Amino acid sequence: MAEARIARQTDYDLFSPTTPIVIDNGGSTFRIGWAGESDPRIMFRNVALRPRHRSTGETVTVVGEHDPALFKYFDCTRSSWRSPFDNNVVYQFEIMEYVLDYGFDQLGASSSMAGKVDHPILMTECILNPVSSRAKMAELLFETYGAPSVAFGVDAAFSYKYNQNLGICAEDGIALSVGYMTSHSIPFLKGEPLPEGSCRTNVGGYHVTNYLKELLSLKYPYHASSITWEKSEELKREHCYVAPDYASELQIFKKGTKESEEKKRVWQLPWIPPPQEEPPSEEELARKAAIREKQGQRLREMAAAKRSQKITDLENELHVLETLLSQLEQAEQPEVASSILARSGYLSRQEIESAHFRVSQSLRKARGEPTGTVEDNADNVTSADKYPLVSIPDEMLTPDQLKEKKRQLFLKTTSEGRLRAKQKRSEEEMMRERQNQLEEERRLENPELYLEELRAKYKELSEKMDQRKRLKTNGNGNGNGNNVSGGTGRGERLNAAQRERMRLLTTALYDKGKGEDTFGLKDEDWQLYKLMSKDTDDDDDVVDPDEAELERVATKLQEFDPSFVERTEARLMQSAQEPPRPRTLTAEDYQVVLGVERFRCPEVLFQPGMVGEYQVGLDEMVSHSLRRLPNLDSSVKDHMCQSIFLTGGGSLLPGLEQRLETGIRATRPYLSPLKIVRAVDSVMDAWRGASVYAASEMFSTQIFSLQDYNEKGEDWLRRYNIVYSLYD
Amino acid sequence: MEADVVRSDLVLPPVMPFKRVQTGDKYPKGQSRARYWKHLKQLLQAENFISLPPDEPNYLNIESPPSMYPPKKYCDITGFEAPYVDPRTKLRYADPEVFRRVRNLPIEHVQRYLALRNAAVILR
Repeated sequence: MAEARIARQTDYDLFSPTTPIVIDNGGSTFRIGWAGESDPRIMFRNVALRPRHRSTGETVTVVGEHDPALFKYFDCTRSSWRSPFDNNVVYQFEIMEYVLDYGFDQLGASSSMAGKVDHPILMTECILNPVSSRAKMAELLFETYGAPSVAFGVDAAFSYKYNQNLGICAEDGIALSVGYMTSHSIPFLKGEPLPEGSCRTNVGGYHVTNYLKELLSLKYPYHASSITWEKSEELKREHCYVAPDYASELQIFKKGTKESEEKKRVWQLPWIPPPQEEPPSEEELARKAAIREKQGQRLREMAAAKRSQKITDLENELHVLETLLSQLEQAEQPEVASSILARSGYLSRQEIESAHFRVSQSLRKARGEPTGTVEDNADNVTSADKYPLVSIPDEMLTPDQLKEKKRQLFLKTTSEGRLRAKQKRSEEEMMRERQNQLEEERRLENPELYLEELRAKYKELSEKMDQRKRLKTNGNGNGNGNNVSGGTGRGERLNAAQRERMRLLTTALYDKGKGEDTFGLKDEDWQLYKLMSKDTDDDDDVVDPDEAELERVATKLQEFDPSFVERTEARLMQSAQEPPRPRTLTAEDYQVVLGVERFRCPEVLFQPGMVGEYQVGLDEMVSHSLRRLPNLDSSVKDHMCQSIFLTGGGSLLPGLEQRLETGIRATRPYLSPLKIVRAVDSVMDAWRGASVYAASEMFSTQIFSLQDYNEKGEDWLRRYNIVYSLYD
Repeated sequence: MEADVVRSDLVLPPVMPFKRVQTGDKYPKGQSRARYWKHLKQLLQAENFISLPPDEPNYLNIESPPSMYPPKKYCDITGFEAPYVDPRTKLRYADPEVFRRVRNLPIEHVQRYLALRNAAVILR
């Protein structure tokens, strides 16, 4: 709630030192002003922050809410907004001092020359404030601010008196004040509050807002950063209401009727739709295709150029070798031949020939002519030659030759094995090809029947898979989920493998009545572990073929059957709502819907058990207050119930009166009178009442000074209570 | 101090002419006084209400009692009536779809829902 900042007041000096300053020190808001005026001069949130100024490094104090843009100059990470209150009692007097500093300063006290706050101060506190808090507050006001005299009063009582003088409530009544952290019910008799009949429940406006904030953040974790405290307060103020009957309101929403739809409110967060990508136009497509064509062309050209280059190189080499060979042949004398050889770099004629052969082969391959058969023959021819020693029996060989033989044997077996594997693979390929062809033929013949068969097979396989998975997870899931109760000895449903293991172990370890455990003495005993199936192996081997089959059938079905949706996907869609699949976001994703939360959050005031506070709600508080006053007779109580007065910021929720009436009527005798009234201004009336009170003539009889405080001691301070009916 | 900060009166000046003792002197820099201030619980303990006459009202006396009606159980997520409790997370839920959502919640959300109800187990 970024209210316009109220400027510092300038008329401080115009007020005489007898004019009291009135302070409503509330859990949420601090209000300060002059007695006798109708509105407080300064109002701000009762919190302070001590951030570090970035450029100077010093720690400064900021009080109340300010323009968040200014906080960029400060490092607010180490500090947080602190309130001087704990529940509804002031305990942090350092923060209180900062707040008071700011309040007085804004009231214009800095312009005075007095060196102290030279006015009597009337301050509000909670009912039955602990005396140590009251004493510290008095001390602060007297010693630090130099106030001449101080008075404390209860904010709800001031509000009641103010409205009583306006004729809204009677002099006997009950004030229901819904504060920030607490709510009070205070009975009044002849215009004076009865503290012995008062009652306090520790829920207030803070709890309602907090509940709303948490519920929305948990429901929309994506928008959690937008759901701030200030925003939740705004939402609460605008949209929350109290249901006249909680249970029936819930039913309306549960049934999802049109009425519930009307009651829902939607908060649209700012959202920018992603830029629409136009479908590429004809020209775009044509252009892209042309580019791709050109690139392909270029690649092809490069490849062709490389190939031709390679061919020319090989041809050149071949040519060189051929000339060499012809030279060797022509050379008649051996010296010429050896000199030619030495020049060429080859050691023998054979080498040149083999090089020639190789080059011609690669040339032929480069040109794209078949060369396979020639090579195979070459291999076959040499296989017997390669392993000459293998066929010779062992006795006839020397040790070296034996070693040689072993090596050759090894090489032979490995190469043969490789050949065999290759053959088998090619056979399998051919078989699969044949099968596919058969299936294709069958499909073309009778498509319907084929699809039916496929579907049946898929269903069968998937069911088998499901069952196996369920058995597996049943045994493991129970063990993982309930870590406390997991364990084999408690009747858990084990799967077959685990049961088998147990059986083996127990029968083996059972000592057959011999009295001694002899398991393990013999080596054969340990063989039993070989009988047990290990979980890991079991999964991989057994499941694979079925799973592969399932995959194959699934792909086939996807190809041919338009209505087939893979079962796994369908199941996923039903079960998990999260994780949300990445898809384009729509406007709806940026909406926060307030449905049930609208009346669920204010319900906290009536059922504090919803947030873990096991106390009475607002309606029962009234009856409890009355029960605490046994000395009053019922006519007085009836009279009181005719003036049940609602005050405090938290009471502004619509529908509160109706709900209270139903609730309180349930606790009162049949047909006893009941009337609920609201304050003229639930938020400001406490300050206004205090202002009127301070302006009255008899006010000076209620205040106490530093002298009084020092002389009379703490006990007197505890019993100090102002008389509210000064100006009847 | 930047111009707009000064203009907006954001920061409290260190010296206030209407005070006898300034905060800077009273609370010297560097000491964290968070532990110095007694919290409400400690205040009330120090108050020693037991020694006072019990029929006189005091801060603790006027605390509200538990409600006459047994607390109704509402679903943690949707807010409807919740006859069921999830044994694993102890969250209340209203019907099977909500149960599915409960089971799919991350642990942090579970803790926060329980904390809303003041039912979270805090392990220290």
